[in-house]
Amino acid sequence: MNRHLPASLSALAFSLALSVAASAAEPVSLKGDVQVERTVTANGTTKTVLAPPTTVVPGDRLLFTTRYSNDGDKPVDSFVVTNPLPAPVRLAAEEAGYEVSVDGGRTFGRLAALTVADAAGVRRAAQLEDVTHIRWTLAHLAPRASGALEYHAVVR
Amino acid sequence: MTYAQTRIAISLAATAAVLAAPALCPEARAASVAAGTLIENTASASFSAGGTTRTVDSNTVTVKVDELLDVALASKDSAPVSIAGGSAVLAYQLTNTGNGPEAFHLTANPAVSGNPFTAVVTAIAWDSNGNGVYDAGIDTVLASGTATPSIDQDKALTVFVVVTGPGGMTDAQTSKVNLAARAVTGSGTPGTAFAGKGQGGGDAVVGASGADADADGVLVASVATVALVKSATIADPFGGSQPVPGASVTYTLVATIGGSGAIGDLRLTDVIPAGTSYTAGTLRLDAATLSDAADGDAGKASASGIDVLVGTAAAGSTHTVTFNVTIQ
Repeated sequence: MNRHLPASLSALAFSLALSVAASAAEPVSLKGDVQVERTVTANGTTKTVLAPPTTVVPGDRLLFTTRYSNDGDKPVDSFVVTNPLPAPVRLAAEEAGYEVSVDGGRTFGRLAALTVADAAGVRRAAQLEDVTHIRWTLAHLAPRASGALEYHAVVR
Repeated sequence: MTYAQTRIAISLAATAAVLAAPALCPEARAASVAAGTLIENTASASFSAGGTTRTVDSNTVTVKVDELLDVALASKDSAPVSIAGGSAVLAYQLTNTGNGPEAFHLTANPAVSGNPFTAVVTAIAWDSNGNGVYDAGIDTVLASGTATPSIDQDKALTVFVVVTGPGGMTDAQTSKVNLAARAVTGSGTPGTAFAGKGQGGGDAVVGASGADADADGVLVASVATVALVKSATIADPFGGSQPVPGASVTYTLVATIGGSGAIGDLRLTDVIPAGTSYTAGTLRLDAATLSDAADGDAGKASASGIDVLVGTAAAGSTHTVTFNVTIQ
């Protein structure tokens, strides 16, 4: 940067540079969120509502959401979102749309097809609590495309 | 549940979990994450754009795990605890099944519905020397209104209720003593939250147990009873059995100890009937001769009567005292 430029011009140049860099490096943005499921009974009807996770205890069901958007004006391909499961939670249920890993993210698949080794080294069918990572694969994101990826987990 | 059953239950619960109250799910019971634990979630994406592969991370969302208040209580006595007139000690195991350190208030109630007798609670103590046995004067007695020490998550404390037996117990009767524990932080309807009261400044939430629990210890009365039967046989000077002057009367006192336990300080006394006189040297306990003098042996006899201190007499035993008098 030219230190002899007037300050206002310098600032303008800097902000332009930033904006170009951002758009070049990150055409896609991810925004994470978490909510807790609450069961509410009103007038004899029980329903599940989502609430901010102000009070969360073991056994609570959490909904993790990752919103993605292609902010650029060009399509992106091979869009893969990987979410390591936080250790204090376990997957609540295997839902459609993603694959899971039970080996730290090295291999992915449907849970029923995966196995883990028990303490004696014997392979057994993988369970929800064995899941370490979740992965969504979207082949193509059009410009301005956006969406949300979700998974449910239970606090261990 | 076994490990495999737990997993099956979890997958079933997950299928139908939308209808279950989340905080009450039974799967929360096993080794819960500690209060204060941070759940941090970050997703990352990789993609190709313009012929290059790029990655981008999401922001990290963080949830702090609050404290779940849960407790379990069970009797540690494998069989009813025998109680006689003195004191007896009931043992209970108090387990903090919540996910943070917690202390508990204890209340002992000896008046359980259906009890044939009501023991008197003299102390509630905890096993402060950790040997599993109540040591009077060593284990810490909880003064009224005082809570237990803080118990860590999934840890247990042995607590003792010291009672004494009331009068009027009948042998082999059983009575219960109910011990109740409730979390100091709070208890009540599952799901009740106490803002800011949890470990690490988070909230505390009442778990499925209601943060209170109770258990019955069982006492069995050990009461020994004494049945005393007195009989007499007469030997007259003529070889018959007529109560004539000069005839000798042998009195036999038989004490039969029934029930269970033992009688302490069993003492048999009798007076010499009017019109008769004690025959010196005839006092016997269980066929052994006792001197008439008040001396080292168990008995003494005089013109007025006999007095035999049997001492401790166990249930099932009998003790026989005999002495002779002469009809004047």
